[in-house]
Amino acid sequence: MNEKVKAKVKELLASGRIKGFWGLRTMQGNIGPFLFSSPDDLDELVVGDRERPGDTRYPLNKLLVNLARCYPEEVFGVLVRGCDERGLKTLYSWNQLNPEKVVPVGIACPQELAEACECLKPFPDEFVAGEKAEGSEFVSVANVESLSLESRLEHWLDQFAKCIKCYGCRDICPVCFCKECTLEKDDFIHTGDLPPENPIFHLTRAVHMAGRCIDCGLCNEACPADIPLRTLYKKVADIIDEEFHYRPGYGDPKEKSPLNILGEAPKH
Amino acid sequence: MTTKRIAVMKQLLAFTGIEQDRLQLEWVSAAEGPKFAQAITEFTNLIKALGPSRLKVAA
Ligand code: SF4
Ligand code: SF4
Repeated sequence: MNEKVKAKVKELLASGRIKGFWGLRTMQGNIGPFLFSSPDDLDELVVGDRERPGDTRYPLNKLLVNLARCYPEEVFGVLVRGCDERGLKTLYSWNQLNPEKVVPVGIACPQELAEACECLKPFPDEFVAGEKAEGSEFVSVANVESLSLESRLEHWLDQFAKCIKCYGCRDICPVCFCKECTLEKDDFIHTGDLPPENPIFHLTRAVHMAGRCIDCGLCNEACPADIPLRTLYKKVADIIDEEFHYRPGYGDPKEKSPLNILGEAPKH
Repeated sequence: MTTKRIAVMKQLLAFTGIEQDRLQLEWVSAAEGPKFAQAITEFTNLIKALGPSRLKVAA
């Protein structure tokens, strides 16, 4: 996997097609994001499979947004899994990135990761390494739905009560790009409370992610309190699909989110 | 846009265990006093029938 990606990045950098490449690199035994700029300096490049596939992921496309804002004329490459590509497409459709200035280098995730993620499409449209795994259903959502209304509330209130309001879920989110965040506005949510207003804080974030969340699961991984945020946002994505036949990042990026344009009325 | 948001929100409430009928959307202009009164009466009756929210009991 690493070698195939290296070869591709080497070619892109050597030909001058891209100015730099956002990838991952080993540093003193750890893995972190790194902006590669020389074709001769790719030895440490990795795809982020430390002990298990995909156990070291970073929101590289979020870093790319920041970089592209500083160098709007340059073309950059970026390492993408299926979810990262969905993130890119969503960022294109919200005009946060210019697709002409981005060259994604794709890798496909193995079956074990696709199942752990309950990922509908564990591969980008094009990839240089890995093999296409089968998509997986949202079992965690079905599990919550099998509960009574009362038990659902109890489940979520217990989960949300663990929140230490570190904003990690928001800060790592590749599609959280608002300059001002409602979660920090006292008019909407009491900002001093711990745990933050339950369930308002989490429902607010869930609604703001509607039509944008691409189900990468980074929020869930970042959460120090192990709150199953991904399950909540998976449900939001299901709702948006049912109501508007739209799943962010799966279709043509020219298609806008139903919550970004007036468009058709909801189905229910 | 509001119609869309409310449709999403109602389902999200149901998923998190809150009766979705507690959220209603009604369009009433400033010139429609009786319609407003009727909407509020109906909503009040609905909420009374649902009883206190378990969210409030939990708090
Ligand atoms: S969400 Fe899908 S594409 Fe992303 S890491 Fe998991 S399996 Fe791979
Ligand atoms: S990452 Fe977890 S603990 Fe931190 S704000 Fe988000 S939900 Fe709360």
